[in-house]
Amino acid sequence: MNIRMIFALVRKDISLYFKNKFFGLGTILALAAYLGIFFLMPKTVNEKISLGFYAPSFPDTVWDQYNSEEVTLLHYSSLEALKQAVTDDKASVGFVFPDDFLQKMYSGEQTNAQIYIKSDLPDEYRQAYTLVLEEITQQLAGHSLNITTNEVVIGTDMAGMQIPPRNRMLPNLAILILMVETMGLAALISSEVESGTLRALLVTRLRPAGLFISKGITGVVMAFTQVLLLLVITGGLQQKPGLIMTALLLGSILITGISFLVASLARDVMSVIAWGMIAMIVLAIPSFNVMLPGLTTDWIKIIPSYYLIDVLNKVFNYGMGWQTATTNLLVLLGLSILFFIGGMVAIRRKI
Amino acid sequence: MTNPAIVAQELTYSYGDLVAVDHISFEVEAGEILGLLGPNGAGKSTTVKMLSGQLKPKGGKATVLGVDIGRFPKKVQAQAGICFEITNLYEEMNALENLKLFARLFDVKNFNAEALLERVGLGGRGKDLVSTFSKGMKQRLMVARALINKPKILFLDEPTNGLDPVSAESIRNVILEERNRGATIFLTTHDMMEADKLSHRVAFINQGRIAALDTPYALKQEYGKRALVAQVVGKDGRLEEREIALDNSDTAGKVSDIFANEKVVTVHSEEATLEDIFIRITGRGLA
Repeated sequence: MNIRMIFALVRKDISLYFKNKFFGLGTILALAAYLGIFFLMPKTVNEKISLGFYAPSFPDTVWDQYNSEEVTLLHYSSLEALKQAVTDDKASVGFVFPDDFLQKMYSGEQTNAQIYIKSDLPDEYRQAYTLVLEEITQQLAGHSLNITTNEVVIGTDMAGMQIPPRNRMLPNLAILILMVETMGLAALISSEVESGTLRALLVTRLRPAGLFISKGITGVVMAFTQVLLLLVITGGLQQKPGLIMTALLLGSILITGISFLVASLARDVMSVIAWGMIAMIVLAIPSFNVMLPGLTTDWIKIIPSYYLIDVLNKVFNYGMGWQTATTNLLVLLGLSILFFIGGMVAIRRKI
Repeated sequence: MTNPAIVAQELTYSYGDLVAVDHISFEVEAGEILGLLGPNGAGKSTTVKMLSGQLKPKGGKATVLGVDIGRFPKKVQAQAGICFEITNLYEEMNALENLKLFARLFDVKNFNAEALLERVGLGGRGKDLVSTFSKGMKQRLMVARALINKPKILFLDEPTNGLDPVSAESIRNVILEERNRGATIFLTTHDMMEADKLSHRVAFINQGRIAALDTPYALKQEYGKRALVAQVVGKDGRLEEREIALDNSDTAGKVSDIFANEKVVTVHSEEATLEDIFIRITGRGLA
C-alpha cells in the first residue's frame, strides 16, 4: 500500500468535497446550525410544580404548609384568573374549592372540588393531580394516612440533576452530523462512478483496496472532524473524552460503510439524496429514544446507529464508563467492519 | 513475430447473452501501431478494456508486455497509458492538478506537468479548471494523462472522435511522437483516414470477430480494384470517366489510345479506401 497515493487521493477528495457548493457550504452552515440549536435550547430543567388554587373560603395560611422547593402553591382571587394561569402554563393545574367546601367537609357532608387542566395534559398526569387533590383534602380534614415512605434510587440519583434538553440533544446532533456526511461522501463517490474518474484511477498503480481505504479515510476524517468540533465547542468532551472519541470513530467508520452502500445504489446526485434520506431516517430512529425515553422497545437494537447513540447518550448524560460501554462498542465495531466491507464490495461491483 | 507486445488468444467477453468479443486472436509487435477498426458496438472498446486490465476476459487469454493481463493487471497498468473513449477528468480541478494527481498514482518522481501540457498544446492553460476547457482541449489533456508514466504501451480508445481538425491533428502528432519513442500503440477508431495515416497494421472487427488484419497497403492491394481512371472531355463537352484495368494484356494499348484520341483532364489509379474494404469484407459500413 503506497501511503503517498492514499494521501493524494484523500487530499483530492476533501478538496473536491468543498468545491461542491451544495455539500461544502452545506457542511459549514449545518455545523453552525447545530451549534445554534444547541446553545438556543434550555440548559436547565424546570423541576418545580406550580399548583393553582381558587378557594375563597380558605384562610391564606392554609397554603403555607404545602409550599416547598419543588411545589409552589399559587392562590388566585378569581376563577377566571385561575383558568388563565392554567392556560398560560403558569400553573400546571388549577384546583377549585367551593365556598362551602370546608364547612361541608368538617360536617362530613359530601362536597365537590374541580380540577382545571390543559387539554393536552397526558392522562397519567390527570390521575396524579387527582391524587394530589385527594391527599390535600385528606390532610385538611385531619385524615392523613398513617404511613411513612422511603425513596430507594436505583442507579445514579438524578434528583436535582435532571438532564437539560440541550444535553439530551447533543448525542442527536452528533449523529446528525455523521448522517449528513453519509450523503456527502456518497454523492462524491457516486459522481466519480458516473463521470468515470474511478475507472481512470484504477488503471494506474493504485489497487482497489487503496482506493477504498482512501475513500474510507476521507469519510472518517470529514465526519469525525466535524463532530469533534461540535463536541469541543459545546463542551461535550468534558466527560470521558477517550470513550466518546472511540465511539465516534467507530460510528464514522459505520457511516462511511453506509455511504459506500448508498453510492452503490445511486445513479446520480439526486438518487444519492433519495437513498441518503432513507438511510438518515432509519439511522435517526434511535435518537428519538434519547429525546423521549420509553418511546421505543427492544426492536430498535436492530438499527446499527443504536449502539453509537446509546453509548453517547449514556456517557454524556449518565456518566457511563468503559466497562459498561464495552458490549455496545464491540457490537458497533463489528457492525462498522461489516458495513465497511459490504459497502466496498457493492461499490467495486459497480465500477 | 519476434517481440510481441500483445498476444491475444481466443479472447472472449460477453455481457449476459450478448457476445461482445468472440474468440479473437492477434499479435501486436513492440513499437507497432495497430489500428482496430469497426463500427459502434463491434467490440473495440471491450477489447481495449480486456487488454488494459479493466475487464477480465471470460474466455481465452491475453499477454501484454509478457504479462498475463487477466491475472496481473496491475503489472501491465503500471507500464501502460490508457486514453478512454469517454472524457473522465476531474472537471473541478485544474489541468495541472489532474496530471499531478495521476503522477502520484503512477509513482512518477520529478514529474514535469507543465512540459507535458506544452507537448499536447495546452501550455499556459495548466491553472484553468478543466470544466472551462473545450472538448478538444479535454481530449488533449486525456492524452497527456495517458503519457504521464512514459508508457511502453498506449491504449487509445477513439482519441480523436468528434474533435475539430486542429485538436485531432495535435493528437495524431503526439501518437506519432510516441511511436518514434518506441511505444506500442493500440488504437481504436472508426476514422478510416486516421487509421490509414497512423497504423502499421489495421484489424477490422465486426460483431466481435476480427474480419481482416494486415497493413493498409496489403489490404488495399488485396481488395482494391487495380485500375486507372481517366477523366476525359466527352463529345458534348461534359466530363466522362474511362476505367482501364491494370493487369490486362491490352492495358498499355488502351492507355495509349486514350491519350491519342481523347482530351484527357486527369488520370489516377483507383485505390480502394479502408472503408470500401471494410464494407466489402463485412457487408456493413463503419458509421
